[in-house]
Amino acid sequence: MVTPVIELSRIEKEYPGVKPLDRVDFAVRSGEIHALLGENGAGKSTLIRVMGGAIRPNGGSMTYLGKPVSWQSPKQARAAGIHVIHQELALFPELSVAENILVDAQPRNGLGLISGRARHARAAEILSQLGVKISTHAKIDELPLADQQMVEIAKALVGEVRLLVLDEPTAVISGHEVDLLFDNMRRLKREGVGIVYVSHRLEEIFEIADRVTILKDGQVAGNGPVGDLTRDEMITKMVGRRLEQIYPPRRKAPASGPDILKVSNLRAGYRVRDVSLSVRPGEVVGIAGMVGSGRTEVAEVIFGKRDLDGGTIEFEGRPFDRRMPREAIRNGLGFLTENRKDEGLFLGLPISANVMAPDLAGVTRRGLIDRRGEREIALEQIRNFAVAAPSPEVKVGNLSGGNQQKVLFGRWSRIARKLLILDEPTRGVDIGAKVEIYRIVRNLAEQGVGILMISSELPEIIGLSDRIFVMSQGHVAGEIDGASATEEAIIDLAVRSVDRRESKAARLEQVA
Amino acid sequence: MSAVVAEFRRNRLSLSYVIVVALLILLVVAGGFLSDRFLTWRNFGNLFQQLVVLGMVSLGQTFVVLLGGIDLAVGSLVSASTVFIAHFLEWRPDLLWLALPLALIAATTIGALNGLLTIVLRVHPLIVTLGMSSIIFGGTLMYNKEPGGSVPRGLADFSYAKLWGIPVTAIVLVAIFALAGLWLQRSRSGRSIYFVGGDREAARLNGLPVSRIVVMAYALSGLCAGLAAIFLTARTGVGDPRIGTALTLQSITPVVVGGTVLAGGRGGVLGTLLGVLLVTMLNNLLNFLNVSSYYQWVIQGLIIIIAVSIHATKRRQ
Ligand SMILES: Nc1ncnc2c1ncn2[C@@H]1O[C@H](COP(=O)(O)OP(=O)(O)OP(=O)(O)O)[C@@H](O)[C@H]1O
Ligand SMILES: [Mg+2]
Repeated sequence: MVTPVIELSRIEKEYPGVKPLDRVDFAVRSGEIHALLGENGAGKSTLIRVMGGAIRPNGGSMTYLGKPVSWQSPKQARAAGIHVIHQELALFPELSVAENILVDAQPRNGLGLISGRARHARAAEILSQLGVKISTHAKIDELPLADQQMVEIAKALVGEVRLLVLDEPTAVISGHEVDLLFDNMRRLKREGVGIVYVSHRLEEIFEIADRVTILKDGQVAGNGPVGDLTRDEMITKMVGRRLEQIYPPRRKAPASGPDILKVSNLRAGYRVRDVSLSVRPGEVVGIAGMVGSGRTEVAEVIFGKRDLDGGTIEFEGRPFDRRMPREAIRNGLGFLTENRKDEGLFLGLPISANVMAPDLAGVTRRGLIDRRGEREIALEQIRNFAVAAPSPEVKVGNLSGGNQQKVLFGRWSRIARKLLILDEPTRGVDIGAKVEIYRIVRNLAEQGVGILMISSELPEIIGLSDRIFVMSQGHVAGEIDGASATEEAIIDLAVRSVDRRESKAARLEQVA
Repeated sequence: MSAVVAEFRRNRLSLSYVIVVALLILLVVAGGFLSDRFLTWRNFGNLFQQLVVLGMVSLGQTFVVLLGGIDLAVGSLVSASTVFIAHFLEWRPDLLWLALPLALIAATTIGALNGLLTIVLRVHPLIVTLGMSSIIFGGTLMYNKEPGGSVPRGLADFSYAKLWGIPVTAIVLVAIFALAGLWLQRSRSGRSIYFVGGDREAARLNGLPVSRIVVMAYALSGLCAGLAAIFLTARTGVGDPRIGTALTLQSITPVVVGGTVLAGGRGGVLGTLLGVLLVTMLNNLLNFLNVSSYYQWVIQGLIIIIAVSIHATKRRQ
């Protein structure tokens, strides 16, 4: 038997009203990829915070490399060789990629001053080891979320690592980036690093993990080699019941009636070059495409968050020119953004205030906010989306990542009477809640709401959409019927048109 | 009053309130031991009187801090307003009904201008209000270097009027605080201050009229400074271009002692009221003990640092 890198025994953690960890045993061997599974709020991130020294447990013990330890700070754990990539990114948005990657290990020159040139060289070296092409000079907040996540991963490759912990790293990346991440994980595994891996995408667990531990309500519900459990058994252990059908039935007849949203030849910034699409009432329209193809930017322009440079947007047959979110909301639009932490949630405020933020008028009676009404609506949404929270007064910042996403859903599904734009709606959401969200999205559509859904998860796009637009490099590369769509057809459109344009550019270069 | 109680029950900071209340009790008990004149009706009457001006200005400051901003112009604005009121009333004592509203409108407008400038110029409120403070101070001195003017008897009497032994001005102050608490917690515009202070971009994406809310909060701070100036002029009987100078920084102490977070989005007016009580009572006691005002400054500095660090550790847990 190989000795574990880290071994936790009977770990307990308690917050007022919740006990996210209840006598948890957990061990990671060197050279193994150990998946940590569980519903939103099961305690995964809390367990990870304990391992990384970010919080101290109320009970239990921990041994690391054979010695009993009790971390006083994250810094101490880091110095001992534990690197944690937390669920919410911990980057400095105003600093460069290089500065962020080498945040703990700024290279110095002969005078003891930080050397800019050495820093960029070292950062570039790490990024190329990871296999990504990101400028080391770019500022973090100029990068798409996926690139930010890759920078976060690059930070893990800087010093010596014995235990690498990744909390839902693939929530914001897809396709090629996931492959790069997995390649690097396998390399580190061969070097004897122990790896903890959290993800709500079960396919990934089967692809990469050796062993799995499943948490349910803060307790270990099962563990063992990945091969010993089937997908259904894992889901049953996580959710506590069997899931029969993931996607609700699609609409029978194609949606008719005039478009609720019609976007023609939209141009905005350098990411949106020429986009035309439409949504009819009662229809779920998917936007697929690679990260960086301009999908999010299109949504932002429609909602009025971002300015447009050309083209037209019509809403219910009328031009939609007063370009601000306030106006969009007033017209019955809702926008669930992809970056919940920075663009939408008030982390310091309770669930109820977060749910009601765009609709204070809806709970105002005779000039005063009706507290009871507000609380009831929040409770209803907590129930609708199975948010794991003891009460609507809980601060959203104290919820687990997936539950924060559900709060956002609770907010916008109420507000959007005409059109709901969803940008990566099930990011970080557990499988049980996903099924519930799909059902609610379909229900909204059946009530006549138009849905425009951006997603990098192809099964979700295919399973839910009535029509699919595939974007590539700021253009709509094609439109596919949802019922007959295949992953291959979508990928083909997303990639092929890139090739065509590139080869055209190459030809032009040759001519010149 | 029920609004304040409701806020107390609901506010997540109630633990911090408990700390401030405990400190207050400690102070009263210590005061009783150290001086036999401290625990008297008479002294409490005086104390409530002293508390009104700081209370008003701190209330305005609370709105702005909740929004994530800061208003460093309140002190100069109070001074300028007293000068305006006292000179106007010296000229036409019969136009009291006009002078006071005019003063309030002017102060509110200057406050709104502060808010507008932070938005239009996208400059940090610290800079905008610091600049504004300097402009107002200079402008007032150009017009008048020494204390001057006068107020009619009626206004002076009002500042000393008592109801069941409690100064009427203090009752008015508490009523204003209760209204402000109700407004913050239960009205759309009040609640919006928490949204904008919590996360400005999120507020925009939730369709809240961010600019309007920012301007409103600063305007309210101006209005509060104007009201404080009325109380102050009534009591001192003159307009003094320097009288408010210390108020700028003093107004921040009760806000943060009361648990409102400088980053915005968290806190409330009840904390500020308790903070005002604490600061005023402490100074009052130190006066009784003949502690020099130099020490009082030092002690106030200590209080602000200690209080904020207590709140911060509470939140980390
Ligand atoms: N600081 C805190 N204060 C109060 N409750 C907390 C705090 N941190 C976590 N919790 C609660 O602990 C529980 C476990 O949270 P945790 O973040 O570990 O879940 P998770 O398994 O990582 O979920 P997800 O898949 O959504 O990321 C949740 O109910 C959460 O609300
Ligand atoms: Mg988590």
